[in-house]
Amino acid sequence: MPVGATGISTQQVEEDKLVVSIGPQHPGAGHFRFTITVEGDMIVDVLPDPGYVHRGAEKQTEYRNYTQSIPLLERSSLTDVTNIIGPYSLAAEELMGIEIPPRAQYLRMIMSENQRIISHLYWLGIQAIFLGHSTMFMWPLGDRDLLIDLGEMIGGARITYSYWIPGGVRNDIPGNFKERALKTYDYFEKRLVDYERIFFENPLFLKRTQGVGVLKREEAIRFGVVGPVLRASDVKSDTRLDEPYCLYKDVNFEVPVYKECDTWARCMVHLFEMRQSIRIIRQILEKIPSGSVRVKLSPQQRTRPGEAYARVEASRGAMAFHIISDGGTKPYRTKISVPSFRNLIVLKKLLIGSHVADMPAIYWSLDYWPVEADR
Amino acid sequence: MVAQQVETKKPGTAREGPGLSILVGKMKEVIQWAIADPMTYLANWGRLYSLWPVHLETACCSIEFGAVSGSRYDCERFGILEAFGSLRQCDLIVVHGTVTRKMAPRLRWIYDQMPEPKWVIAMGACSITGGVYFDSYNVLPGVDQVVPVDVYVPGCPPRPEELIDAFVMLQDKIRKSNIR
Repeated sequence: MPVGATGISTQQVEEDKLVVSIGPQHPGAGHFRFTITVEGDMIVDVLPDPGYVHRGAEKQTEYRNYTQSIPLLERSSLTDVTNIIGPYSLAAEELMGIEIPPRAQYLRMIMSENQRIISHLYWLGIQAIFLGHSTMFMWPLGDRDLLIDLGEMIGGARITYSYWIPGGVRNDIPGNFKERALKTYDYFEKRLVDYERIFFENPLFLKRTQGVGVLKREEAIRFGVVGPVLRASDVKSDTRLDEPYCLYKDVNFEVPVYKECDTWARCMVHLFEMRQSIRIIRQILEKIPSGSVRVKLSPQQRTRPGEAYARVEASRGAMAFHIISDGGTKPYRTKISVPSFRNLIVLKKLLIGSHVADMPAIYWSLDYWPVEADR
Repeated sequence: MVAQQVETKKPGTAREGPGLSILVGKMKEVIQWAIADPMTYLANWGRLYSLWPVHLETACCSIEFGAVSGSRYDCERFGILEAFGSLRQCDLIVVHGTVTRKMAPRLRWIYDQMPEPKWVIAMGACSITGGVYFDSYNVLPGVDQVVPVDVYVPGCPPRPEELIDAFVMLQDKIRKSNIR
């Protein structure tokens, strides 16, 4: 369907078919619009229309130096602020040719894993309320604030920490952090058991997710999806394991892989990953060395001319930055590769042939965040 | 013609007399005092404790709106519940941050489709001036170019407490307003 600048479009529709436009004003598809064609109760065609939040972040990094770009780039994904600026810092450090002290590497991992839990909890709340489970909206959003408090304790702001910067991290953790973090995670692990009992073992949840929106292993590889969607489709792929950045090779964790390949598996991957993140943070708090947390950079730090590519495992999947530099204080070109946009491609594949009532479950199991996808 | 008009006016004022006109003026005051003011108060009271925001997420500030609807900040205490229904039952738009050139016409359409009376809260630095995206090619420098704004909430993103403060300010504004 051609959509012009005004958004008005016309099209010939066959009899006994109905075209339904969903979004951007819609509880499920915030900042995103898609048009579905339904025949009875079955979806026969889907046309996604992204780009409502395209703000030109790639172009704007060309006007700012490497440290100034950090607060700009993390706005692209406020649920996942620490991981989205991770690859940018890694690529910039590669161009600058600086080594990061080990304490800063561990602090980056703490913040990154904490952020992964925060992002997964937000996803869990939204996924649950669109399956009609209000309790599971209120609980994760309440517990999420405890983890945000931990982040606030380190980073200073509520959700926008700007913590990973080229040269290390913004500041050290306060003295009583370990004690308070362990207390919070002990509480949170008990809550995860409650979540499992109330929501993940709920017969309604099982009925609405098992066997719904199946993405087979071969299809997942062919479409090039990343992150929890790929792991739920029986592919053991995790950037933390495959190409370890920071000091992920020093900690033990498992990567969830499910053979079911359906919406249920995509939900269970998130639950599994939250437990693994807590496990990683516990290990780091035990063995974190003392030392400096930041390499001193000049205000207008120059880089070598050339290219750098870095990738981290963000909460929605592999998140990558490609920076081209001409040797100045600002990047010549920045390319952002976001997981949300790469997972969007399977929306059409999964929705065609499914019931209209399954649409919210499938759509949110992809954990699609339009602000991140549109950049 | 002119003389006739003068003649018709003169008897009319003479017939009413000064006492009658004073009574008519007082009747207006009495009606205002006894019916119109309580009705306005009642209507405003009803409006200010049942504000229904449209679920239009324009950008990333919607995360903090989600936190406000969540269990710690719980804006339902103030009578604000995000409407998971039609925008024709809504009377408040909270503009969640950046409005791009693609989103701006939709925002205006949604505003036009809502019934009167309606209010707009501009949440976040991006919706006030463009924020960190001030030099972007695709971002509006301020949402007040598209819709009239009642309350501005600065911050990037604003903390949930600030958004709740904005709700309370808007309720004060509604309480003092004179919309019939």
